[in-house]
This record gives sequence, structure tokens and C-alpha cells, in this order.
Amino acid sequence: MAVPHTVDVLVIGGGATGAAVLRDLARRGLKSLLVDRSDFGTGTTGRYHGLLHSGGRYVAKDQLAARECIEENRVLRRIAPASIEDTGGYFIATPDDPDDYVEAFANNCNASGVDCDEVKVADLLAREPALNPKTRRAFRVPDGSIEPWMLIDSIIADARRHGSEALTYHRVIGMEVQANRITEVTLRDEQTGTVSRVWTKFVVSAAGAWAGQIAAFANVGVEMTPGKGTMLIYNHRMTDAVINRCHRSSDGDIMVPVHTVAILGTTDIKVPDPDDFEVTRAEVERLVSEGAKMFPDLPRMRILRAYAGVRPLYQPPADAVPGVGNRSISRAHAILDHADQGVDNFVSIVGGKLTTHRLMAEQTVDVVAAKMGVTTPCTTADEMLPDQEAGHTYWLGHRLADHEEEGGGDATLLCECELVTRKATDAYLDKHWPCSIDDVRRGSRVGMGPCQGAFCMFRVAGLLAERLDARSTAAGQPVPAGLEGDGHGAASPAQHAAIADRALTGFFRERFKGTRPIAEGRQLQELMMTNGIYLGVLGLESMTSASAPKLSEEALDAAR
Amino acid sequence: MPHADVVVIGAGLAGLVAAARIAEAGATVTLVAKGHASTHWGSGGLDVAGPAGVATPAEGVAHLATLDHPYSFLAPDVAPSIAWLLERLEANGLPYAGTLDTPLRRVPTAIGGTRRVAIVPAAQAAALRPWEPDEILVIASPAGFKDFWPAAIADSLGREAVWMGAGHPGRVTGITVELDGVADRHNLNALHLARRFDDPAQRAADIARFAAAVRKAAGGRPGRVGVPAVVGLSQHAEAWAELKARLPLEPFEIPLVPPSIPGIRLWHVLREIIRAAGGRVQIGESVARIHVEDGRVTAVEMEAAARTQLIRTEALVLATGGIAGGGLVATHDGRIVEPLLGLHVDAPEHEEWLVADALDPAGHPIEAAGIPTDGGLRPLAQDGRPAPLANVRVAGALLAGQRSIRERCGDGIAVASGWRAANELATDATRTPIEREPIAVRTDQ
Repeated sequence: MAVPHTVDVLVIGGGATGAAVLRDLARRGLKSLLVDRSDFGTGTTGRYHGLLHSGGRYVAKDQLAARECIEENRVLRRIAPASIEDTGGYFIATPDDPDDYVEAFANNCNASGVDCDEVKVADLLAREPALNPKTRRAFRVPDGSIEPWMLIDSIIADARRHGSEALTYHRVIGMEVQANRITEVTLRDEQTGTVSRVWTKFVVSAAGAWAGQIAAFANVGVEMTPGKGTMLIYNHRMTDAVINRCHRSSDGDIMVPVHTVAILGTTDIKVPDPDDFEVTRAEVERLVSEGAKMFPDLPRMRILRAYAGVRPLYQPPADAVPGVGNRSISRAHAILDHADQGVDNFVSIVGGKLTTHRLMAEQTVDVVAAKMGVTTPCTTADEMLPDQEAGHTYWLGHRLADHEEEGGGDATLLCECELVTRKATDAYLDKHWPCSIDDVRRGSRVGMGPCQGAFCMFRVAGLLAERLDARSTAAGQPVPAGLEGDGHGAASPAQHAAIADRALTGFFRERFKGTRPIAEGRQLQELMMTNGIYLGVLGLESMTSASAPKLSEEALDAAR
Repeated sequence: MPHADVVVIGAGLAGLVAAARIAEAGATVTLVAKGHASTHWGSGGLDVAGPAGVATPAEGVAHLATLDHPYSFLAPDVAPSIAWLLERLEANGLPYAGTLDTPLRRVPTAIGGTRRVAIVPAAQAAALRPWEPDEILVIASPAGFKDFWPAAIADSLGREAVWMGAGHPGRVTGITVELDGVADRHNLNALHLARRFDDPAQRAADIARFAAAVRKAAGGRPGRVGVPAVVGLSQHAEAWAELKARLPLEPFEIPLVPPSIPGIRLWHVLREIIRAAGGRVQIGESVARIHVEDGRVTAVEMEAAARTQLIRTEALVLATGGIAGGGLVATHDGRIVEPLLGLHVDAPEHEEWLVADALDPAGHPIEAAGIPTDGGLRPLAQDGRPAPLANVRVAGALLAGQRSIRERCGDGIAVASGWRAANELATDATRTPIEREPIAVRTDQ
């Protein structure tokens, strides 16, 4: 899609919050454009543990945040039921948790409106036998598990239905500020290098941990303190409900079952640069030893990989004048109206959490709408999002059950772990084409299961190559952004191959990064075996040098 | 109670060669393993030595022998052991091409990359011959097969850079061939296809389809055709001969992700050689405990489905594999241990196991972890002196100092060390020198 010339509002950042801002603007009649430097949901949104908060984690320290969580929890269950697995959640008092916190927990929940029932420990242990048998008390809360990528897709689909647009791989590289207003924003297409300009009446930065970098383009200071949160993916669900420690939130005190795996979170470490951080073994050890207080066998369970996200934490300057809305919103997120700093049409939304993304968007758009003279009320909590009609998240067998219901036939599994058939992948491609290997991964969960893509990513690359094949391009099929060729028609097979190379080697490297801090036992074994296959039998290393985009004429001729 | 002169633990190439050689020597041998091993996930070829910068496996062995590497003491056994193995494979209907002096050449892989090889099954050999500029390479696969994607492979192989400076075909094209009944087949894999080629009637029909499609794609140009390595399992020789005779271009097999059909063929032949010489092969039985008395292994205890089995023995070959094979295990506190006998392991410090880039050409220091031995493959203790286990020999990927992925030396070490371990122990057990007559057996899997 081409970059539009003029928009009412430009939204920067394609996480859940940015997408929700776009949707809210669109529904209030503001024709808007969202841009992200990468794919949607690749920042903090796609790199967290997947918890749909009940609010229970905040009842002791921040009742407003807790109240917002439970309210939005109910809204999301209504508008995005297919993105949520209603796992339920428990706060358990282990022998390590302080009595006073445990005693006050139920009352604190009550005071914040968070539904909370104490359950018999014996009953919970019967349901979740991997839990610490020394658990003293347990409280049930409406926690859940939420799938961020499908959610973002739905939100953006709704925004598009209401006349707005969203672009991936478009990075903001400049802003023109005249007479206290941003008039023009310069974008670079990260796949083709094409630079374009958008004239806009208003700019909303939903860039999260990167908000400081965006604000700097308008010479505005936003002091973010990105907090790295490290999480561990376990190869099975040792629990079918979210489990929290009943204490003041800390490291390694939450386990979230997500589809076929379970995710232990988190650490919280300040990092100077939201793009430059790695997971250390010390963090992994800390998470496992803390997590073992909930699940005593945790040190013997298999970790698939470690990963980290950056929390978009915002520390208001000590001498700051409270900004718009600061009285009415919790400290969990903040809307910064940069009129205070001399730019009248620029707002940043910072802080917050995925569970409250819709509310954050509503409050942000309230500010924007008021400044733009728009009085249409927010409707984002009212209607179910597109593609959420199924009303429930899938369980592993759904896909095959659906397949059989549709008459069966070719059930070639491209991804054995997540039971993704070729037919389902083809259907995804038909709907979302043109798209990348990573889009397929997030959209279909190919490669997200226990083998972490070792046996399926090259299959997806193969399937994409078939679609990209010169024959299909010649037949008038669209090609993904960046593959339009060099002005001489369709992209060459060599360019297709370079894309696949980058996807495969990039995937291999990314997967390794997540395995390195947890490389021990079976997981180190699997890493060495995967290396043996990819380097020994498949010659992956020969493809790294080949993925350079510049190719000789001879090679291109040979490829034709 | 069962007894064997020698028990071999591990069913990879090292264990199979050791057991075959011991059995041929006239000693009784039982090979036990918890499951299939390197044969089933390798290429079926024999990577003897291919570190960067050498022209032949022989040069590679000579180079690695100058390093702190198993070849520093195994080098003299490489040529006779590889010759012995190739002779046995040929005699049993699974001929290989290439020798230690064959130039290492780049051949296509199943994701459209290349790798350097010299000794390969005969069915892979046509890929070794240097390419002429007017040649076309047709990549052909049954439609609907998920582990081999001709369009992607051809797109990639069409790029000069993938060949890393080696000669390459002037043109590469990918085609899929519709075979009857394949499109409806649920979850078709390499084994299904290989068994299809074992059936003479089915094979004739399929090969006719391939021939027509390849003829059309080649358009009269000279060249070769790369097919997934699925051309027959038990009837591979017949299937291959028929494919070769009927295709308009010379075919070669390209090995796939596991399960490796060329590797399974190799495994079947080696198992039959062991059995024909009187040895036993027991797969699916994890070794639970090794009994040691007075510095000697006396028995091996296995866990089967509902019982434990004890085999008394005079000697043990430990060929349980490296980290990938499970012969070495990384503990939570950053040690690498050998779990069966608790042998001393040479390994880098925990912090240095893995370098930052997955594709670093130098590889990862952890790859060199293993059991240090003397030249007779006796394990060494931490102080460098022989461990007090007089009748144990260590073979294969367990040996310290190899970085087999980058040095491409894993199969050569397996064969040479399996051979040497067998020679040492069989001579002890039988007091007779080893014979070298080939024993022909049938592979009727």
C-alpha cells in the first residue's frame, strides 16, 4: 500500500496500544494512519508473558491500576473472546510469602473490585498437582491468558473498516515542526528504502519504550526508563491456570499457561537502550529458583527458550507540572500532552500494560479529540472486534477437528508441534497475502511449539517460495512490500531466495539467542542436534553469504 | 545370565562399526542402545575431514592430526577403517563413491544451500562431478511432500554466492511431479515415499511421471536432476537403477531432515553385518547401570519394558555420542558429565560454551567437549593418567577435541575409533588377529 498524502492523525507504534488508538480515532471519524518500524506486535506487546490481568497483582500497591485491570479484563472478554483463554488464576501463599500480605489480600481485592474467592488448598492441589504442596492458602481470581498477535490483527481490521490504515516496516526518520505544530512526518520504508512524507494534523506516539526516541524528532524530551523483563518458556503446561505468588510482586512469581507451553515471568532490570539487551544466565537462575517456590519440580522441567521484553516505564520528572489527565489516571500509565513543551499537536501515551491498552487508547483519544474539536464519544468497548466470533481460543485439537469437519482431505502438517496443516497455512496466506514468514508464524503459531521451529520454518519458506515463484507473479499475484523488483517488473527468484535466507538465518539466530542462556540438559542437546542438521546436512552457513541483495547479472540470468 | 565378550553401548556409526568388527573377529558382541542415533539424522555420507581450506579428506585428516584432536592418535587407522567399511557396504549392496583422496566439492542441500563432501552413497555421487556452464540442474520432487520444496531450492541455488566460489550449473529450475494418491495422503513423509519406491509397480508408474516432467523442464539441455533422498529403502538398489535408466538426465539424491533415508539404509546394512557375524543388536533398551568390580566393567544392566536385563561382559565400548546424542549431559550448575560411568570430561568453562552468534564460522567451544583418552581409547582421569577402568574403550562423538560440525570429521572419527576400539578388545577377547574377508549379507528391511 502506498503511504497516504494527508491524514488527520498519525499514530506511531504498532503495539496493542497504538492499534487501539488507531481504532478509537477511526471510530470517532478521524482518518488516521498507523506506522511501525517493524511488524505489528514485535515490541513489548509481543514479548510479554501473555497474562490477562485480573488486577490481583496490583491490589496492595495501586488500587486504581487494579480497578482498571478488572474493568478492562471484563471488556476484553466481551470484545475479544477468541484471543483469550479463560484459564482462571490463583494467588497462592507459599511458606515464603508474608502473613500480613496474605491476610490482607482478599480485602484488598474487595476494595479494588477484583473478584476473589478463597479456595481449599487441597482442592487446588488436586486440580494443579505440580503446585507446591506446602501451599498454605489460595485465592481464585479471574486471570486469563491472552494472545496478542491475533488481538492486534482484529483491532487493526476494525480500524480499517472505519477508514483508517496501518503500515508495517515504516520507520519515522524525521518531523517538521512549524509554529508549534508538527506539520509533516518523514517515513522510510525499511524494506525498500523508499522515503515518503505524510502531512498530518496531529501525532500520537504509542512507541512505548521507544517514546523518547520519537519525541526527540519534535525536540521534545520524554524520559523513559525501559525495564527489561525476562521470561522463560517451558515445554508444557505444568498448570492449566495462571499461578501468582501472594506477595508484593517480584521476580519469577507468575506462571501463565499459553497454548501448548507455559511462561514464567519475570525480572525487572533497567536497561539504557530498549533495543540492546540480552538475557543473562544469572536472571535465568533467579527466575527458576524463585519459580520453584510455586512449582518445586521446576528446576527439573525443560525450558524451551528465554526471552525478554522492555516495559515502557515512564518516570515523570520530579519538578514536572502534572500533565493532562494525570489526576484521573493511575500511575501505571500517563498521557503526555507536549503542548507543555511547545508542540501543540503531539501526544505521547507511555507506561501501562496490555490488559489496559484499550482504556489507555480511549483516554489518549479523549485528549486528542478534545484538542481537535471532535465530540464523538468512544465506542471501542461496545462491539466485538472482527474475527473474534469464534468466541473461544483454540485448544490444540481444534485445528484437526475443524479440518475433519470441513471434510478432511490433505492434512499435511507443516508444524507438528502446533498441528498447523498446509491447508490452514494456505488459507492464512490467501487471506493475508502478501506477508512474511514471521507474519505466518505469528498468525498461525507455526514454529511456536516445543521444537521452536526446527522442523517447520524451512517448510514455510518453501511454501512462500512457491507463491513467490515467477510463474505466480507473472500471473498477476501481488508480491510482499519490498519485493516489487527493481523497476523491471517482478522480483527475481534470487531476490525471493534472499528473503527466504534472511528469514531462515534470522530465525536460526533468534532462536539461538533464546536458547543460549538456558542451554543445559535436553535443551543443549536439542540445540546441538539442530546445529548438526542445519549446518551439517542442510548447509545453512552457505546461505548467509548469499543473502546479500546485490547479485551479479550472471547469477540473475542463471536464476531465470 | 546372558554373556558377551564385548558389550557396545550406542547405535551410531562408531558403535555399529565397533560391533561389526568385533563380531567379524569371532568374539561375541551385543550392541545395546536406547534408540536410533546419528545415522537417522545425518546425510548418509561419510564426513571424514573437511575443515575450511583443505582440498581432500586425506589432507583434512593430516591437518587435524596436528591439533589437539582425536585424529592426532587415530590418523593411522582412518584409511584402513574407511576402506574396510566401504568394502563391506559395497559387498552388501550399498555402494559408496569417493575416497580419502577425492576432492571435497560443494553439493546442493535440501534448503538450497551447499555443503562440502567427498565420500557419499552412490545415489548422491552425480552431484560431485564438476558442473559445466551449459548444464541445467532440475530440482524435482513429488508434489505435496513437505520436506523438499523445489521452487525455494531452485531460487536459492540459482545464486552464485551459495556455491561459495565452487563451480555451479548454468541454470537451476524446480518442478513438482504429481504422483497418484499422494495429494490425498495424510502427512506424507520421507519413509512413505521411500516405501513407495520399494514397490515395483508403483515405482514404474512414478518414475514415468518423473521422466516426463524432467524431460519437459530440461528442454533438451544437458544436465542433472536432484531428487529428495527417498528412492527406495529395502529395494533402493533396484529403485535407483530403474530411476537412473529412465530419467533423461542423470539423477542424484539430496539428503533431507530426519528421518534420513540414506542413513537408515546404512544402519540396516551395518546391523545385518553384525548379525550375520553372530553379534546381537538390541535397540530400545536404556542402560541403567554399569557394574564395575576391581577396576573392570563386569556387567551392563538395561531397563526394558517391564524388567531389567543384565549382560555379563569382559569389555565395554562406550559409544553413546556427544551432547547431541545424549552421551554427554550438561547439568544445571554448568558441568558436562558422562552419566553412565562418570568419566572425566574435558569441557570449556560454562561461560564459554556458546559464542554470541549462532552462525559464527569458528563454531562453539562446547562442541569440543568430550572424554580424553590415550591412543588405545582408554579413558583418562582428570590427572591425565588412565582411569581405573582397564577394559573400557571410548569411541565416536564422545571423544574430546573434535568440532565435528565445522571440521566435518564426525563420521571419520566414528569409523576409525570404532575400528580401533574393536581391534584392541577383540584381540584381547579372542587372542586371534582380525580377518578381513567381506561377509555378504542381505538387507531385507
